[in-house]
Amino acid sequence: MLKKRLIPKLLLMEGRTVKGVAFGNLRDVGNPVTNARIYNAQGADELIFLDITASQEKRGILYDIIAQTAEECFMPFTVGGGVRTLDDVRRLLLAGADKVSVNTAVVENPDFMREAANRFGRQCMVGAIDYRQDDNGEYRVFTHGGTVQIDKDPLTWAFELQELGVGEILLTSIDRDGTNQGLDLEITREIADAVDVPVIASGGVGTLAHLAEGFKEGHAAALAVGSLFHFTDQSPIKCQFYLKGEGIDVRIGQ
Amino acid sequence: MKICSRCMTPETHETIMYDEQGVCNVCRQHEVKKEKIDWSSRLQDLEVLIDQYRGKFDYDCLIPFSGGKDSTYAVYKLVTDYKVKPLVVSFDHGFLRPQTLENNTRTLRKLGVDFLKFTPNWHVVRKIMLESFIRKGDFCWHCHTGIFAYPMQVAVKHNVPLIFWGEPSAEYTSYYSYDNPEEVDEKRFNRCTNLGITAEDMQGMLDGSVSMRDLAPFMYPKLKDLRKVGYRSVCLGSYIPWDVKKHVEIITREIGWQGDDVEGVPPGYRYEKVECMLQGVRDYCKFLKRGYARVSHLSSIDIRNNRMGKDEAERLVAQYEGKRPASLDYFLSLLGISEEEFNEIIKTHVVSPNEWRETSLLPMGDMLPDQPLWPKAVEVSQAKICPLKVIGDKNLQGEENDRDHRLWDGKSAVGAESL
Amino acid sequence: MIAIIDYGMGNLLSVRKAFEYLGEETIVISDPQQLQEASRVVLPGVGSFPDAIMALSAKGWLDVLQRQIVEAGKPFLGICLGMQLLADEGEENYPCKGLGWIKGKVKRFLLTDKGLKIPQVGWNEIRPTGNSPLFQKIREGDTFYFVHSYHLVCGDEKDIAAKCHYGEDFVAAVQKDNIFATQFHPEKSQDNGIKILKNFIELKA
Repeated sequence: MLKKRLIPKLLLMEGRTVKGVAFGNLRDVGNPVTNARIYNAQGADELIFLDITASQEKRGILYDIIAQTAEECFMPFTVGGGVRTLDDVRRLLLAGADKVSVNTAVVENPDFMREAANRFGRQCMVGAIDYRQDDNGEYRVFTHGGTVQIDKDPLTWAFELQELGVGEILLTSIDRDGTNQGLDLEITREIADAVDVPVIASGGVGTLAHLAEGFKEGHAAALAVGSLFHFTDQSPIKCQFYLKGEGIDVRIGQ
Repeated sequence: MKICSRCMTPETHETIMYDEQGVCNVCRQHEVKKEKIDWSSRLQDLEVLIDQYRGKFDYDCLIPFSGGKDSTYAVYKLVTDYKVKPLVVSFDHGFLRPQTLENNTRTLRKLGVDFLKFTPNWHVVRKIMLESFIRKGDFCWHCHTGIFAYPMQVAVKHNVPLIFWGEPSAEYTSYYSYDNPEEVDEKRFNRCTNLGITAEDMQGMLDGSVSMRDLAPFMYPKLKDLRKVGYRSVCLGSYIPWDVKKHVEIITREIGWQGDDVEGVPPGYRYEKVECMLQGVRDYCKFLKRGYARVSHLSSIDIRNNRMGKDEAERLVAQYEGKRPASLDYFLSLLGISEEEFNEIIKTHVVSPNEWRETSLLPMGDMLPDQPLWPKAVEVSQAKICPLKVIGDKNLQGEENDRDHRLWDGKSAVGAESL
Repeated sequence: MIAIIDYGMGNLLSVRKAFEYLGEETIVISDPQQLQEASRVVLPGVGSFPDAIMALSAKGWLDVLQRQIVEAGKPFLGICLGMQLLADEGEENYPCKGLGWIKGKVKRFLLTDKGLKIPQVGWNEIRPTGNSPLFQKIREGDTFYFVHSYHLVCGDEKDIAAKCHYGEDFVAAVQKDNIFATQFHPEKSQDNGIKILKNFIELKA
């Protein structure tokens, strides 16, 4: 059977890994290349790198990080953050990424995703959805790193992304990001049950029990995890043993 | 909490899993060790391995050494039975107890071996201890990394390709298994030794006053350098079945090794983790995080080896576990933090389903006889606790973010990331 | 020297890095004439079946591969699409002839379980079915990384080296003499994948 996946999510900023709460208050959590090496040794199923480097001049560091990571880590990487053109996608794939995650650029130009999926294959394209509740309590999609609200709810946008050709959806609750309060199980389940592509849920995992819930109640195909690995002594392999013990079909990474 | 129906290890133990009979994976590994491994052929493998390297370098092998029972037995066994000329290497974590220092001198003199000891900069160690304690609820990062990385650096520098460690990790956890023996390499270092933090990671986490040069002793050597010397780094316990009680008997009888009192541990276990002053605080952290400590661990091994019944184990755990160690005050004075701060930090690392318990209600443990002899804390300028510095309130686009963080008070950085 | 064939279908970097990690010399070649120097040949590939066959044919690979691999017997490893191309025929987009080294056709997953998504993306357990040297030290239940919507249906059971299950049983690896191929990506499958590549390196030429 296909295994449920556990994916460390690393935010990169100017050559370092950072992590915050609700997309702000960033703190240093290491060197991305050695982070990746650790997660590789700890049996993570994949890695996600999201580059939040502010200035475009410093983007070159990203290609270097991906290439260095590929030297010793033989596992799939998804890379995203600021991807806007087909050439961005091509360059990331050439640098060693297996999949590219796109958010803002698809909202601004849906055809971009259609073309990218055609050219590179839909298995290469991940559609990222960041969402939170607006002032009226409605769930809304946000772009530009959680700062610009779009007039769409996450489920509608998930369907549209699927139509445009994404191979996977990376779903993040901004409100829960870094809070350790648990995943947004309702929205995760609603979307995971509705779409045909795998959903990677993220935002809020703080305990082992939250991981089990994400699979059992959220119906996610994969979970992306940050704080739990950065700020506690949990690791992918420890989590895999726990999940397997809970009856969830995960691999024990070698 | 769920516990193993055989050895009683609880579900908060790392990498534990129970089968249909409620038996844990470590107990199952123990069955493999006892029943499935052909130890006589492993013994032949050991001889072949040693002969491959014998006499070809300045030393036949390198043996990392703390002076505890396992590394002492490894040196004893390899020198006495296999007649190797080893380079014995010790990474001094800064907290070796008087009895252990005495043991070490005696062991090294009796066995007649060359010995190299390295002690890292205390100012650096102190900062690292606090940082790793805040991040991982474990203040021993400098020790975990130094003990496993530094001897490897020596192996490269002195061109000693064969390295022997003591017991394999399958003895206690499920990161590796007995039927698939582990190499003690960088992968293992990253998988289960360094708390998921490399020296490169640590450098940027600190306040900028510690350089990569300062952190060099804690760095694993580069793979290409290790390959250049043709290294093999293995556990002696992958070749001979590890039996701690028997080994302690042997080293006590043959080279006069002496056990010691350990905080929170019954007198019957005067051999286990005797070398470190901070063992009591370490076990206390484990108790607060995971709801069990050393007596549970030690009795689980005895149960597995049919040396103790469950009733006896339960009695010992009830009597000895869960006391506030007298050495906590010593630890707090070293790092310059208060007990409240200590509690605030460890509270964020409680492993569910274990729950935080009020520490003021715990009984006090007795002070070890040697504690008054331990070196006093030295006044060091950096004393303020500086939990997880925030490096900027940038949002994902890198613009200043003035949004109100409802779930974040921006001050209690320690408490906010609770497990 | 391991030659990795570059015919414009996907990124070869990870395959190359994985062999280099094992201490092997590699060369990425886009000119069929260079195949002569190689002792072992790897054909990776991501993309669609007809595009790949057209690319191989346009650059003159078909004859050279036939001579060097099938006739001269150099050890060969196909990966993912590089395995599917060995079949007689593919049905991706439209029916299209393959290299015909392995009897069989490439078909799309016919999934009835709504919970299963296409493509299959992720780690799945395999079951080695014969005694292929490629699977030495690999045990039933070991996991490998797959990304694919199509799979090879073998015409000859004895060419199958490993199977896997995704809604239906499908072929995870094939072997016929010196020709080896995996549907999964060994270069993305951590230690298990590295074992496979090591086994490939250690095959007698």
